[in-house]
Amino acid sequence: MNDDSHSSSDSSSNSSLTRQQARQIAANGLWSNNPALVQLLGLCPLLAVSGTIVNGLGLGLATLAVMLGANGCASMIRGHIRPEIRLPAFVMIIAALVTCTELAMAAMAYELYQVLGIFLPLIVTNCAILARVEAFASRQPLAPSLLDALMNGLGFTLVLIVIGALREALGQGTLFDGMELLLGSGAADWVIQLPGERHMLFMALPPGAFLITGLLIAGKNAIDDHIARRRPASQPPSEQRRVRVTGTIH
Amino acid sequence: MSTLERLQRWLGLGGSCAPGIRPDTRKARTRDLGIQRAPLPPQVSLALNDNSHKPWAETLLEVNDGDWVRAGQRIARPVGHLALPMHAPISGRVNLTGAAAITSTREHASDAPGIVIVAEGCQQILTMRPLAADHASPEQIFERIAEAGIAGMGGAGFPAALKARAAHRAGIDTLVINAAECEPYITADDALLRHDAERVVSGALILARATGATRIVAGIEDDKPEAAEALSAALATSSLPADVVIIPTRYPSGGERQLIDRLLARRMTPQQLPVDAGVLCHNPATLAAIHDAVIRGLPAITRIVTLAGQALSAPGNVEARVGTPAATLLADAGLDTSRLAKLIDGGPLMGHQRSLASAATTPTTHCLIAATEQELPSPPPPSPCIRCNDCVPACPAGLAPQQLWWHTRVEDDARAKAHGLLACIECGACDYVCPSHLPLAASFSDAKRRLRVADAERARADQARARFDARKERMQREHDEREARRQARKAALRRPAPKTPADDHAPTSSAPADLRSLRIAQAAAKAALRKAEKALERAAQQQQPSEVLADLESQQSTAREHLEAANAQLDAARQEAPTS
Amino acid sequence: MSYLHQTAPIASSARVMRSVSLACLPGIAAQTWYFGAGVITNVLTGILCCCLVEALMLAARSRPLRPTLADGSAMLTGILLGAALPAGTSVWLILIGAVAAIAVAKHLYGGLGHNIFNPAMVGYAMLLVSFPVPMSLWPDATGFGAGDVQNLWQGWLGQLDASTLDAVSGATPLDALRQPAGASVIGDANLSSPWAIISLAWLAGGLVLLAQRLIDWRLPLAMLSTMAVLAALLNQVSGTGSVAFHLFNGATIMGAFFIITDPVSAPGHRRARWVFGAAIGVLVMLIRGYGGYPDAIAFAVLLMNLSAPLLDQLCSGTHRSATDAPRGNS
Repeated sequence: MNDDSHSSSDSSSNSSLTRQQARQIAANGLWSNNPALVQLLGLCPLLAVSGTIVNGLGLGLATLAVMLGANGCASMIRGHIRPEIRLPAFVMIIAALVTCTELAMAAMAYELYQVLGIFLPLIVTNCAILARVEAFASRQPLAPSLLDALMNGLGFTLVLIVIGALREALGQGTLFDGMELLLGSGAADWVIQLPGERHMLFMALPPGAFLITGLLIAGKNAIDDHIARRRPASQPPSEQRRVRVTGTIH
Repeated sequence: MSTLERLQRWLGLGGSCAPGIRPDTRKARTRDLGIQRAPLPPQVSLALNDNSHKPWAETLLEVNDGDWVRAGQRIARPVGHLALPMHAPISGRVNLTGAAAITSTREHASDAPGIVIVAEGCQQILTMRPLAADHASPEQIFERIAEAGIAGMGGAGFPAALKARAAHRAGIDTLVINAAECEPYITADDALLRHDAERVVSGALILARATGATRIVAGIEDDKPEAAEALSAALATSSLPADVVIIPTRYPSGGERQLIDRLLARRMTPQQLPVDAGVLCHNPATLAAIHDAVIRGLPAITRIVTLAGQALSAPGNVEARVGTPAATLLADAGLDTSRLAKLIDGGPLMGHQRSLASAATTPTTHCLIAATEQELPSPPPPSPCIRCNDCVPACPAGLAPQQLWWHTRVEDDARAKAHGLLACIECGACDYVCPSHLPLAASFSDAKRRLRVADAERARADQARARFDARKERMQREHDEREARRQARKAALRRPAPKTPADDHAPTSSAPADLRSLRIAQAAAKAALRKAEKALERAAQQQQPSEVLADLESQQSTAREHLEAANAQLDAARQEAPTS
Repeated sequence: MSYLHQTAPIASSARVMRSVSLACLPGIAAQTWYFGAGVITNVLTGILCCCLVEALMLAARSRPLRPTLADGSAMLTGILLGAALPAGTSVWLILIGAVAAIAVAKHLYGGLGHNIFNPAMVGYAMLLVSFPVPMSLWPDATGFGAGDVQNLWQGWLGQLDASTLDAVSGATPLDALRQPAGASVIGDANLSSPWAIISLAWLAGGLVLLAQRLIDWRLPLAMLSTMAVLAALLNQVSGTGSVAFHLFNGATIMGAFFIITDPVSAPGHRRARWVFGAAIGVLVMLIRGYGGYPDAIAFAVLLMNLSAPLLDQLCSGTHRSATDAPRGNS
């Protein structure tokens, strides 16, 4: 989790973003340090509201917005805030942004706001946001922080969408049901009815969400293993530790 | 056992009832054949104890390569406190060069130095002076037992003299003769009791008298009626009250603690020994050896070994010299090497597998099994533990092997210890019943070994830490003393020295050093006075309360006095040593 | 090192599993007699699916197939799962149940001997939660040949629609517990009713297992006696069914002798087993009386499986011989 902050720690005064850095941040946020599949943060909303695609998308976008704002603010004030009070300060920023997002969603997508219920305000406690702020944005200049927030938020949202799709398909037999709650009435006919009448209620309930998340994590690990096996073994390990093999310690 | 206890046991709310297993005893082939005397072997192989791993059992060789030794002569001296002297089983030449392949008494073959004696010359055994058992003191008896090198012949090999001395010190009341012989195949004690019970009883009486036991109890299984009768007959004429208790045949009824619990209803924690319960327990062969040592002066160089197994055409019990190669013994018993699949030293449940070429009779070998493949087939590979709990009623120590298995499997030895691992006697009954064929006893003995090693390391670390602490303390003390001396010197210089006549005539060999230090003292006193004056000025300017001003004034006057004293000392010193 | 091993009849865990599977036959036969050939297809499909999933999981875990498949544990899970499901369940349902039982409850926890939960009950519970409607539709107990072959084949393929299913199915007596005013249906159980005969057949199998000392008698005794006491008490208080009603309906006897006695998921210590059996009895009565599912064996067993390690720990404590003082002089 700390590898990305170490890799660009020398650029604290230089606020431009190199392509290499950007690629690294994107890869981390979307895959190798994905908040839901690797960091395993924010699992409560993940499991509770990923019942359909639209629910997952809605919460994911809200989380993304809050992440962007929180990372940006934290990065901008990082030189001016005392270390002893940084955590309460960050939580205050996140809380303010969550309130804004909640009000925005209530104004623009009221039914979805009602469906998401208490999980919108609970974004404040979503550890994924505080983790990125604390580990990355409070040490990095603005541009990398915003990119990191974007990528992490996207990664979280993508996982939410995948789980939502699977649960919706298995538990309800539909896909893209209810998209008009978020994207306006034109999206009402995006619904796809899947064949088959028997629906697995288990998948629509939280235990099914646990199972599917576990399977996704297993799948990601399997893919990682496969890639690692195919990569040539000539690359030395990234961390070299010198082992004392001679001499005695006086 | 009260009715309530019985009901409790029946309902499964209390302790275990009749733990153990009942395997087929397979003793029929060897039990009725009496004891043959094995022919003298052409050479014997003995192993010294592995010094590096067991310093407490260290013995020192007393003969050199090429020496001729007489049977019964001592060839190794005990050094460690648990060591035993070693005697030559046959007369012959000592050959130390080709002895690398001898296996030691423990399962893991060590590269312990081995001794080979090639038979040569007069085979008369060197004996010690026979003692009159009735008149000898206990200490003489114990010394004789120690000299004869008698170890517990039931398999453990603990020095009998140590046990006897401990029993004498602790004050025991009962001597138990452990004639249970519960392991399948083994009939050595059975044969000994049938044909020579008087020797056993004589040894028991000697030991009982020496350690102060007032009663003898013998435990024997019910599949040995003739031996029980012979033992009863021999004990009938003993001077001490004696009982022969017949116990049901079950493995392992011969475990020391289990037998004592069964015969006398006395229990011990795993850390305690039988002597803490007032009991001394011995195998009949050991008692017979004690008789031989005391009455006939013979060292422990022979023992009875059961030769069994389907690969032998003439099995039986033989009295063999210690160190006889297994190949020789088994060849005399009609070994068919083409059918031999396993050679086991010991019983089938607690013994160890050996190779025919290197195995020899050790002082604790009581059985050699030459087994065919059908007789003792290799078990199928272990499958996972299904927690069937069949092992729990089989365990004689009342443990739950299944629970211990889950902990020792991942080497969580501390938790295994908390569940009673140290009470395990490694009898192998749990191995026998396990439907998944798990190697339980081996895993437990590995765990116990790891615990022992960890304890030894911890003791070493504790000792190192204690030494380090003591050293630190000593250095601190020395530092403090030096500091105190320095302070004392400084204080002596500051204080005005009393003007005694002796002082004036004191030698001024260190005059320059004194002058220098006096000058330093004067400068310091001047500085102190200045500081006190300044402080007083400042306080006066700040209009401090009068107590503060009074304090500072007294400090100032004290400083002035010090300065005057320092000036006086300096002047006096200058006068004495004009060349300053 | 022990070189001597038991050669008695019960010498391996494979034989244990096979003996238990054989002891299930009377119960299955009785169920077939009353509910038709659907029971047999259930059991056979269950065995097939469980073995298939086990083979796939072993391959995925890179373990050798032959020794583990041969130990019969997957077969036993398939039999129990098939017997617990309503007759004529479709193959897809059984396959999903097998995946839940073998892949999730057994292999994801480490394989045989490592599973915390009873695999058959996990499969059953997953199916019950996922497909509540098909799982509660038992066919009428009209004897062998209930439902013609055409219906059976279509049912197996999962092609029967809901209305046809309703027409050939009836509720179990335990369903009546869920109705608020079902007092007329509940009464003293008639020992010649279909469910009672089925329970007696399972009991026969269970007694065979007891005689062969393959299961611990404490578990069924604790569970059934607790249920009997509670049923008697609750019957006096609120008329929720007599003792015989509760003991001889549904999967009570089957659960008592075949499900809770699974050695891997039950505690090992003797005293812990008493508590385990009794607690399952209490939970079954509670869920039947006040919960939403008619036959509560699966959930009660799963809940108590969670606490089995804790029970073991509480009941065994420190080893007895470490605290006993020596008796006699010293």
